[in-house]
Amino acid sequence: MKKRFLSSVLALVMVIVLLAGCGGSKTTSWTVTCPWAPSGVAAMVSQKAASLSTEYSDSIILVADAIKGDAATVNTWVADTKAGDPELVFAGEGLFAITSILDPAKLQFTYDDFVFVENLYSSVFVMSADASLGIKSIDDLKAYLETVEEVSVATNGATGSEAFLAASLLGAMGYGNKLKLTPYSSAAEAAQAVVRGETNLAVSHQSQILESYQQNGVTIVCAFDESDITEGVFAGIEGVGKYGYPYFRNRCFVLARSGTEAKVVEELKALYDDILSDEEMKTWLVDTMMLEVDTMTEADVQAHIQNVQNIVNEYYDLVVQ
Amino acid sequence: MLEFIGPALEHLFTLENFLWMNLGIFIGSVFAAIPGLTVILCVILFLPFTYKMTAIPGMMFLLGIYCAGGYGGSVSAILINTPGTPHAATTMMDGHPLSKRGRTKAALRIALYASAFGGVFSALMLLFLGPQVAQVAARLGTAEYFMVCLFGLTIIAGVSGKSMIKGIISACIGLLISCIGADPLTSYDRFTFGISRLYLGLDLAICLIGLFALVEILSKAEKKPGPLVLDTEKMNDKGEITKEEYKRMLRPTLISSLLGVMVGIIPGTGASEASWLAYDRARAMSRHKEEFGKGSVEGIAAAEAANNAVTGATLIPLLTMGIPGDGTVAIMLSALMINGLNPGLSLFTTQGDIMYAIMIGLVFVNLFMLLQGQFLTKLFAKVVSIPQEILTPIIVIFCFAGAYSVNKNYFDVGVALLFAIAAWFLRKLDMPPVPILLGMVLGNMTETNFRRALLLSNGNPAVFVSSIYCIIFLALTVFAIAALVRSKMKEAKTDKRGEE
Amino acid sequence: MKEKITWLDRLDAGRDTLGKRLAAKEIQLPTELIAGGFFFLLAIVIYIIMPNQVAVADSDVVNGRAFPTLLVGLMLVFSLVLLVQEWIKVKVKKQPLTTKKINLLVEIKALAILGILLITYFLCRITNLFVIGACFCCLGFLVYFRCRKVSYYVITLTMAVLIWAAFRFGLNVSF
Repeated sequence: MKKRFLSSVLALVMVIVLLAGCGGSKTTSWTVTCPWAPSGVAAMVSQKAASLSTEYSDSIILVADAIKGDAATVNTWVADTKAGDPELVFAGEGLFAITSILDPAKLQFTYDDFVFVENLYSSVFVMSADASLGIKSIDDLKAYLETVEEVSVATNGATGSEAFLAASLLGAMGYGNKLKLTPYSSAAEAAQAVVRGETNLAVSHQSQILESYQQNGVTIVCAFDESDITEGVFAGIEGVGKYGYPYFRNRCFVLARSGTEAKVVEELKALYDDILSDEEMKTWLVDTMMLEVDTMTEADVQAHIQNVQNIVNEYYDLVVQ
Repeated sequence: MLEFIGPALEHLFTLENFLWMNLGIFIGSVFAAIPGLTVILCVILFLPFTYKMTAIPGMMFLLGIYCAGGYGGSVSAILINTPGTPHAATTMMDGHPLSKRGRTKAALRIALYASAFGGVFSALMLLFLGPQVAQVAARLGTAEYFMVCLFGLTIIAGVSGKSMIKGIISACIGLLISCIGADPLTSYDRFTFGISRLYLGLDLAICLIGLFALVEILSKAEKKPGPLVLDTEKMNDKGEITKEEYKRMLRPTLISSLLGVMVGIIPGTGASEASWLAYDRARAMSRHKEEFGKGSVEGIAAAEAANNAVTGATLIPLLTMGIPGDGTVAIMLSALMINGLNPGLSLFTTQGDIMYAIMIGLVFVNLFMLLQGQFLTKLFAKVVSIPQEILTPIIVIFCFAGAYSVNKNYFDVGVALLFAIAAWFLRKLDMPPVPILLGMVLGNMTETNFRRALLLSNGNPAVFVSSIYCIIFLALTVFAIAALVRSKMKEAKTDKRGEE
Repeated sequence: MKEKITWLDRLDAGRDTLGKRLAAKEIQLPTELIAGGFFFLLAIVIYIIMPNQVAVADSDVVNGRAFPTLLVGLMLVFSLVLLVQEWIKVKVKKQPLTTKKINLLVEIKALAILGILLITYFLCRITNLFVIGACFCCLGFLVYFRCRKVSYYVITLTMAVLIWAAFRFGLNVSF
């Protein structure tokens, strides 16, 4: 009896050891942690990139993982990861330029805790308006703002990128005092609010307002970019940059733990660059997700963060009242 | 609608979907057949498996569990006079007497056919009514949504058990728990006590693991687990149902299915209410009233058709407005949202193909339930004899692994344990746990819409009676509260008379 | 195996003795009174900590404290109703308090189960290897249920490893 029991336990231990030891080979699996919802844009792009990783590398396999938690997830990641660990994490201007100013206590890391690998994509935000208002350009918006005492803008979240973009545009135009930010729980809800006429304007990603625009529920006022949109459904929409108004794009940086060997970082960057230049990936990003491939350098990233930080500092009072 | 049917069928007809669907049905049947293991517990335990799936297979799996739960409970009700699920108590009234008359297999088959009919009927109702309700829901603004939430909160009275006061206190706890995390309108932290993990609030699935699953483990202290043996030898009759019996079953099955759908659409009601109501109606309308309670085929058919007809109907308010019809579908909401499917009209337009695939899939779930029931009932009966000694640690391991895998953090397992301890304490005080769940589900939506409506109207409360929809929902809320107070007073009077 | 049985026998005998002593000990718990009192106090505590835990801006039309304050108010009112109901029952109607029988043995057993759960949790957390905690959990419950069948031990331990493997390799949950 005792023998049978002991041999069963031994067999179990062997199974555990065998299972735990699975995957021992020359290829290294790099877990890419996305700190946002598994259904979000970043997680989907990460999943897609991971699925293509084996086509472009024999030594690196990317494994996409999404643990929603924003700063909390990145805090845990920084605490649990050492230099050289096969772990990558996503972060964007939201963490480095908005949370770091609005709520620095929430971040238990700084940019120095990471080493930049690559930027996955960039997305241009657009401002939409209730179709009945007939606002189709910056000039229309200016004329409208002259006539009203208050303008409500639907945004996804209270202090996100969308809120700061709305505040910066109206603030720079000189109508900051008329702005009433109305936060919604999701981008879809914010888009629906402007369609119903509950708010006058909304700021969102292009893909999030596309359906309402195609059904003539909204008009598009402007794009938060340097110049006009040249391609796709929104071609011709003017960029606020040409009027000298502030803007920034939404970006998603892939980061490794600082201290990771430069050679390894280079290898990872090369892999991401290969994946991002893949035709299938490019088409998917542009057509389905309405995103742009936008590879960056460390200097570009620093400049981007600095730009957003400047906007946040300048228009802080309009958003955080 | 038609433009979505083609792509929906394309999405649905994959081997993966049908495998998950059938696995769900099997697991659901087994869980529901074991007295003490509930469908809600089963959905909680298996929810983490859907996190890695896309929306359709994930929902097929959960719907399989949910629908089979409707039928599975009848197996032990018929065989051993112990309902596997609360609503199977109605089936037991006639199922077990019929079994005692040597017609066990016939009783099981009647329950199965009626369940499948009720389920398919309900799924078709969802398919045709869902999009229409969603059209109306899309016209609802922030103020109207608040009124819908307020109406939804009247659910609490229905799930409060004996004391409505305790139910309201429990709901307040749930609503307060939903306040933990960043304020949705200002992003300021609320009740986070400096713990960064609390910034995004508490995950519903994690709290439920503690509140409903782990507390059941603690309750093992209350009773000594005896072996549960279902005598499958009893099932050796031919299981024949005569033409006459089929004819007699037809009317109560149809009427009960309709009643089930009507009850299911109203948030807060559930399968138990539907089956008792249908059973009562069937008895009142039957020409063989004397058979009720002694093995009436009409009684079994009415009870089973009604409790399965609830399944599709409860999804109507969930998919169109985000208001869960009962506790189990409230958990399914997180499976939808993790795949980016937010309830509302946009779900039926932008994600129409996925939505229709899920709704059509529900019809197939019920058909496969019929098939599995036809061939595997004997096996279900045997599987339910798994000893508690084996089952208990396995459930705990599932709970811990499930809680961990939501955010891949042991902090969440700790939270689940804390909720289990709290739930044990609440149980000692006879505080109902379901209102806590409903409070957690509806809390954020209620508060956000309330505050946003006032923000948009510059603080003018007249916004809550500013449209016809607001007034309709306000009237419904008042009506629901009045009806509840009346029924509670009636209950109290009956109790008093009983005591005298 | 003989030694194991002896050890288990001794443990069971100890548990039986303790069980016999505790089985008869019962407490009448005044549920409504405790529930009313506890939630009344809880509501007050939440109200007191609210300014410290919920920051608000002066310009908010309805600030972040409004909803929790409303809920705390409701909790206070309904807890009071519970207490008043009991008071009326005892003082006016001269009826006994609403009570619930609490068996000490059941509570001790629940504590033992909670102990198993807590040890499982800490084992997982400290070793960072879920399977260790899972195996302990199986053994803990089998001993708790006084199980002597070797086959049950083998089945549950195998299931524990399989569940861990399903999450670890199937769902890619690294624990």
